[in-house]
Amino acid sequence: MADVRLHQIKKSFGSVEVLHGISLDIASGEFISLLGASGCGKTTLLRIVAGLEGATEGRVELGGQDVTGLPPEKRDIAMMFQSYALLPHLSVAENVRFPLRMRRIGTKAEQRERVADALETVQLGHLAERKISQLSGGQQQRIALARAIVSKPKVLLLDEPLSNLDARLREDMQVELIEIHRRLGLTTIFVTHDQEEALSLSDRIVLLNKGKVEQEGAPDEIYSSPATPFASSFLGASNLLPATVRRVGGTAIAELEDGQTVALPADTAEGACTLALRQEDITLSGEGDANLTAEVATRVYLGARSRYILRLAGQDLRVLTGTTPTHEVGSKVGLVFDADRIRILPPETEKTSKDT
Amino acid sequence: MSDRAENLILALPGLLLLAVAFFVPIAQMLLLSVQGEEGLTFANFTRFLGDPYYLGVLWRTVRLSLLITAICALIGFPLAYIMARVGPRMRLWLIVLVILPLMTSVVVRTFGWMVLLGRSGLVPDILRSLGLAGRNFSIMQTESAIVIGMVQVLLPFMTLSILGVVSRIDTRLEEAARTMGCGFGATLRTVVLPLALPGIVAGSLLCFTLSASSFVTPNLLGGSRIQVLAASIYRSVTQTLDWPFAAAQAVILFVGVLLILVPYARLGGGTR
Amino acid sequence: MVGAISRPVRIAAWIFVLATGLFLLAPLVVVIGVSVSESQFISFPPDGLSLRWYKEVLSSDSYLGAAWISFRVALLVTLTSTLCGGAAAIAINRRVLPGSGALATFFLSPLVLPTIIYAIGMLMLWSAIFGPVTIVTIWIGHTVITIPYVVRTTLAVLSESDPFLEEAAQTMGAGRVQRLWLVVVPQCLPGLAAGAFFAFNISFDEAVVSLFLRKPGLTTLPVQIYGQLEFSPDPSVAAVSTIMIALTVGLILIIDRMLGVQRFASS
Repeated sequence: MADVRLHQIKKSFGSVEVLHGISLDIASGEFISLLGASGCGKTTLLRIVAGLEGATEGRVELGGQDVTGLPPEKRDIAMMFQSYALLPHLSVAENVRFPLRMRRIGTKAEQRERVADALETVQLGHLAERKISQLSGGQQQRIALARAIVSKPKVLLLDEPLSNLDARLREDMQVELIEIHRRLGLTTIFVTHDQEEALSLSDRIVLLNKGKVEQEGAPDEIYSSPATPFASSFLGASNLLPATVRRVGGTAIAELEDGQTVALPADTAEGACTLALRQEDITLSGEGDANLTAEVATRVYLGARSRYILRLAGQDLRVLTGTTPTHEVGSKVGLVFDADRIRILPPETEKTSKDT
Repeated sequence: MSDRAENLILALPGLLLLAVAFFVPIAQMLLLSVQGEEGLTFANFTRFLGDPYYLGVLWRTVRLSLLITAICALIGFPLAYIMARVGPRMRLWLIVLVILPLMTSVVVRTFGWMVLLGRSGLVPDILRSLGLAGRNFSIMQTESAIVIGMVQVLLPFMTLSILGVVSRIDTRLEEAARTMGCGFGATLRTVVLPLALPGIVAGSLLCFTLSASSFVTPNLLGGSRIQVLAASIYRSVTQTLDWPFAAAQAVILFVGVLLILVPYARLGGGTR
Repeated sequence: MVGAISRPVRIAAWIFVLATGLFLLAPLVVVIGVSVSESQFISFPPDGLSLRWYKEVLSSDSYLGAAWISFRVALLVTLTSTLCGGAAAIAINRRVLPGSGALATFFLSPLVLPTIIYAIGMLMLWSAIFGPVTIVTIWIGHTVITIPYVVRTTLAVLSESDPFLEEAAQTMGAGRVQRLWLVVVPQCLPGLAAGAFFAFNISFDEAVVSLFLRKPGLTTLPVQIYGQLEFSPDPSVAAVSTIMIALTVGLILIIDRMLGVQRFASS
């Protein structure tokens, strides 16, 4: 258990720079998520921490020790791979013992005990003598986790370990990961593209975009106060509307591209901006008493709720509401929301999309 | 030690062996084919290409190889298709049926054909008793004997090449074709055959090359009167001891094989 | 079999399979038949039944000598070609060396070139440098033509295994040698075994290289049989051939027990 310190990490593949100077301090025992779309560099960053990839520039410290030049086998880490990477020619117990054997941790008897403990932790003690090919995907995943925690590494690296599981198993594993982390207190770096996973598991989320840290903070903080349009659209389904803020008397007013206006808190700065509104913060009403008016493009019935896709000022808006009343496709609806729930973000410089 | 050094060490023994014992001998042979007493000469090539006898040998080689390849493809495709579509137990037996001859020495198999096709052999006997052949009829020492023997030798190669491709074709494609109104035959023609084409092309390339370059079976079944190119090469090496001429013939064989392979391989690559 | 295939088609398919099977097995059956004949002359169906030709073979110095040469060569070839080819396949699969694609083509090239062309080159080069051929010449020649099979079977197995195993082992503390020995080599084993069987079988049955490199006292079993067939075949050739067929059957049984014939056939 130790802190991880990344200092100005840059990485280039050929002439393409994929990480542009990332610095990160991770406290001992912290569970941190590297969140981002595919190609944002999150896995590369994790592999640099593991030593599987060398950084082009920058420094990696584990527990105060500079390990930048060390190969993975000389670093006190454990990593769980997306494909689990279990050795198919070894039994379950031999797989879990492998890191102890390689790192020469403890005597044979101690190793056996630790293997049994680790298997107990993931509740698969009874499968110790099985072959890997006899396990289900979910079981393989747990064995991989047991193998990662058995050596009590300084830092545990998880590379999208849940992405190959079906939805039900994934939820179970999330709960289990939280419990194991609470019990063992291992410093953990978790790479994922799934915002829900990041929100539910981490102490802190580091949102990566195009090789840079877009925003970092506690899950509730990063969810409720996204700093950029990208952060806002990546975490939760936010509706983004380009607008221009003007001051009229003592109030601030945002004018959308189609001329509709929304009143904003008085201290809002003038100029171009992006308004962000979460789909769950909007309710629909008939025309009239609403903040904004839009046209219904599509209605998707989801059982407990309905999702509407609305056209407003050339943008598609998503709104999640109750199933009644029903608004017909093509009709005009009013959007009702609390002006405080609007987040005013810098204008979008380019198209930010959530391509996961 | 770096990753590169480790892998170089792993690859090095094989690399050196192939370089010294494979590429150097071929280079040596190429050199010898143009080596005269006073430097560079193409005499060996002009001798071959100017002699109607050798041109006949060349033509026979190409003709027989094409025929053998075509017959192998005609038998190999349906056989591979059936192998891919029967149950697992039956498939196992069919695979053994194909592999057992494949893994048996060519010399042994050719011997079997010598017995079968010889003057008092089973095949002429049957043909005679059916009244299809005269009393002195013999298949041995004919081109037919070479074709029969070579097809048996090469059919396993063709079948396994096609099987590798056909067994990866999704049966649902055929079922889909049937639901769209294709009969069984039409489905084979419009769905399976185009998808199997890469395997048929690969198998044909293999069969043609092997057939054009083999001499054991043609020598034993065709005898000395019906020479093919590879047999002529063997004779130049072991009987007339004219190595430069043998080398020139080998180069002609190689170039000939390449001339047929390259456009054919393009065809296969294009449909992939 | 895809459903909805009419009866006539099924019957036609069966007749076709039986006819093809007969055609493929006929020469082997005939050879076995001739070998148990009592007659002096090669005849099929056999005249009478006896094992005299087997006795003859087992007391013939030329056959036993040739078999001993073939066996020694095949064992040596299996060893060298599995080692060189397997190690090369591991290196190719890791894609660390520059031009790994070209490297694979390099190692597979003996497969594409007609063996007869290689055999002449080998004979000419060896004679030019070392003079008369020896058993070592055949050993090297067979190793060259069997290496591609080992490379191919090993690469096929490696490409199916999880590409992250080595990295995972590295994060668990395994050093270079341990990764190779404890992680990569165990993954390769089925491919190496298949390649080794190919190498043994091809070397033991090979006639082209061996014929070009033949000389008195240096004849492998297939060359010995070929020589007999050219001049004076008697049923003893059939007895030797039957023994070779029996060896092949044995090899197939071992392969099926160890690897499964289907998998073997697909490589």
